[in-house]
Amino acid sequence: MSIIAGVDIGNSTTEVAIARIEDGGSPEFLSSGSTMTTGIKGTAENISGIVQVLKESMEAASINMEDLELVLLNEATPVIGDVAMETVTETVVTESSMVGHNPGSPGGEGIGVGQTTHIRDLEDSDSDDSLPDEPIIVIVPQDYDFEVAADIITRALEAGVEVKAGIVQGDDGVLIANRLPEALPFVDEVAHIEKVPLDMLAAVEVAPQGRAVQQLSNPYGIATLFSLSSEETGHVIPIAKALIGLRSAVVIRTPESDVESKQIPAGSITFMGENQNLDIELEAGADAIMDTLAKVEPLSDVQGESGTNVGGMIERVRQTMADVTEKSLEDVKIRDVLAVDCQVPQQVEGGIADEFSTETATGLAVMVDTDRLLMERVAESLSEKIDTPVELGGAEANTAILGALTTPGIDVPVAIIDGGAGSVDAAQFQKGKPVEHVHLAGAGNMVTLLIQNELGLERFEVAEQIKINPLAKVESLFHIRHEDNSVQFFDDPLDSGLFGRVVLVKDDEFIPIESDHTLDRIRTVRQEAKRRVLLRNSIRALERISPSNNIRFLNFVAIVGRFGLDFELPQMLTNELISFDIVAGVANVREGLGPTNAVATGLIINYCQQQDEAA
Amino acid sequence: MSDEGTNQQQQAVEEMELEEVGEAELGDSSDEVVIAVAPAFGDQGKKQTMLGIPHAAILREIFAGIEEEELKPRLIRVWRSADLAFIGLDAAKLSGSGIAISIQSRGTTLIHQRDLLPLTPLELFPQAPNLDLSAYRHIGKNAAQYAKGDSPSPVPQTNDPMSRPMWQAIAAVFHIREAEFVKQEKPVELKVNFEK
Repeated sequence: MSIIAGVDIGNSTTEVAIARIEDGGSPEFLSSGSTMTTGIKGTAENISGIVQVLKESMEAASINMEDLELVLLNEATPVIGDVAMETVTETVVTESSMVGHNPGSPGGEGIGVGQTTHIRDLEDSDSDDSLPDEPIIVIVPQDYDFEVAADIITRALEAGVEVKAGIVQGDDGVLIANRLPEALPFVDEVAHIEKVPLDMLAAVEVAPQGRAVQQLSNPYGIATLFSLSSEETGHVIPIAKALIGLRSAVVIRTPESDVESKQIPAGSITFMGENQNLDIELEAGADAIMDTLAKVEPLSDVQGESGTNVGGMIERVRQTMADVTEKSLEDVKIRDVLAVDCQVPQQVEGGIADEFSTETATGLAVMVDTDRLLMERVAESLSEKIDTPVELGGAEANTAILGALTTPGIDVPVAIIDGGAGSVDAAQFQKGKPVEHVHLAGAGNMVTLLIQNELGLERFEVAEQIKINPLAKVESLFHIRHEDNSVQFFDDPLDSGLFGRVVLVKDDEFIPIESDHTLDRIRTVRQEAKRRVLLRNSIRALERISPSNNIRFLNFVAIVGRFGLDFELPQMLTNELISFDIVAGVANVREGLGPTNAVATGLIINYCQQQDEAA
Repeated sequence: MSDEGTNQQQQAVEEMELEEVGEAELGDSSDEVVIAVAPAFGDQGKKQTMLGIPHAAILREIFAGIEEEELKPRLIRVWRSADLAFIGLDAAKLSGSGIAISIQSRGTTLIHQRDLLPLTPLELFPQAPNLDLSAYRHIGKNAAQYAKGDSPSPVPQTNDPMSRPMWQAIAAVFHIREAEFVKQEKPVELKVNFEK
């Protein structure tokens, strides 16, 4: 009879299982525990976390540390992943020909077309001859108070000037529009109003509340307003594109102005396969990149064109990996890449109202091999520290399968999906055959990166929280509406800082999100990011390990590790895999631990099986 | 979002007339924001904040901020206290939207909501010397957004460690003066006429 411990060091958590092994060989599990991994996985800093969780678990089982006879350490998944993102399109405005933005509160509504005219030209409306006699768009800088401006415009209207619309620098659009005898559209919060050219034909459109501009986001609409030729209409497409979905917009026709939506030469990626090398431009988009990758497989390394964005991106990842693994740069080989397209808000180059337009960006997740040496070093120092023998107890894929097989209702042939921050791992086991496993780039961190960029968040941590917690809207201090539309009431008022905010529901705590995105938008971005990275990679991984690359040949799929703890991913996966006639669900290791502790449990089972075989 | 960082004080009104039009009643329209002034605000004594900003100009900016968000301001005076928090909460309980702004004559301001405890307002602007007219405009705008159920970013505030030693004594004088006008009467509705 002996007491042994299985220890699984993951990127974020360290898990432990303690078992008593009878002479007959089968293990009796006594306790389990988990804690945050201290330091980067595979480094000496892990030791303090391991020792702590070992002590806790031993105490829970009422056993002295001295009685521990053997510690089995996982042979870590031999990959580390990293992510990077570059935008591949940009919108450039030359000669200030367009203002398209979403001020909180534009004034009035409708469309006005006229010559851009400074408000000072309307001021002396007593001398009739100096007043403009054609339709005008009035330009109001911030040093005109709203009442003064409204007064000047009203007098000009009364004197017969055809004021059709206005462009305002301050946040005064509604205030001015409310004080005029007739309803005119006013676009406000145009920060750099001095850049608006005067005496040019311009069109201002303000959509009714809840709508977006119609005329100015339609190339033919712009052509109609400015009487453009068919050739000129071709040139306004980028303008129309940039104005889609906005509530207010201005387009100014200047002789040489131009709005370009252009591709940034982001460089090309070279996939070096065992059989052939292929190049692909980053701006070709994620699908083309993934297709090229599929043609090249099996992959031996990846390189980015030097001196370009993508070159920098890939080298940066390689450098990080070299630092972590303490290998030389040349020895760090990239084994997998996942490319994902996303739409990120970017400030328009040359814009005059600090406009944003939605640009295309490509995110890359890459993965490199590490080696066994790292864990051996951890095992050695751990052994010294606790004065107990420590062994590496078998590949993570095998042990995870053994752990997952303790789930009630499961059987071989079985496949598992184990996802963490850096990679999606899958393994498949059939009786009498060795375990097949695969590691793919792109997992939790990639999802966080997509959420961060698509929502334009400054901090990665905020995106991380959005990824793992459901949302709610605080509608009053006594009730919130969850993202599934259900309402929850409270007897005691919530914190005043939460009033009206979109919050994350984390256990019993609410964390406000500082952004002006609606709950629906955040939820869509979050789910799309999970779908595009985690779901897609899970399917890709299952295809690779299943016999003849067909998912239908799998019978049971169990989700273990952190993926299983996500509040929506398991359901998304189950839903997706139902169409393949597969039993897919979250593992329930040792009938009660859920998706956690599979590897730690598997380490002990593996050890017992080996003892059996030896005996 | 562009903030009204620079001056909008072109036409800073200096004077106003406040007319009492009866007891302030419970509002029934959800598109109003109540602005409650403290007992000495506006038509008593100096008619300006400790920084010298005319009370009339402050009210006009707060009104403008609310109007820009297409809501309606309603002005009342709370007599029973000189304490900003209690004035604000009294006003919020009278407000159809449940949102109110309260201002003391020295310029200190907050945004309150009717379900809150007196000392936990939605936003508090404790350092009057650091508030300018564009800040008051923004306060009006934020209050209106809360009333709409939006979640505005709080109005940015500067924290000047020197304002305490420089202004504390003056602030105390303002507060003492404010407290002298307190009387145990119900809040009254005010009608305002800005004079140019």
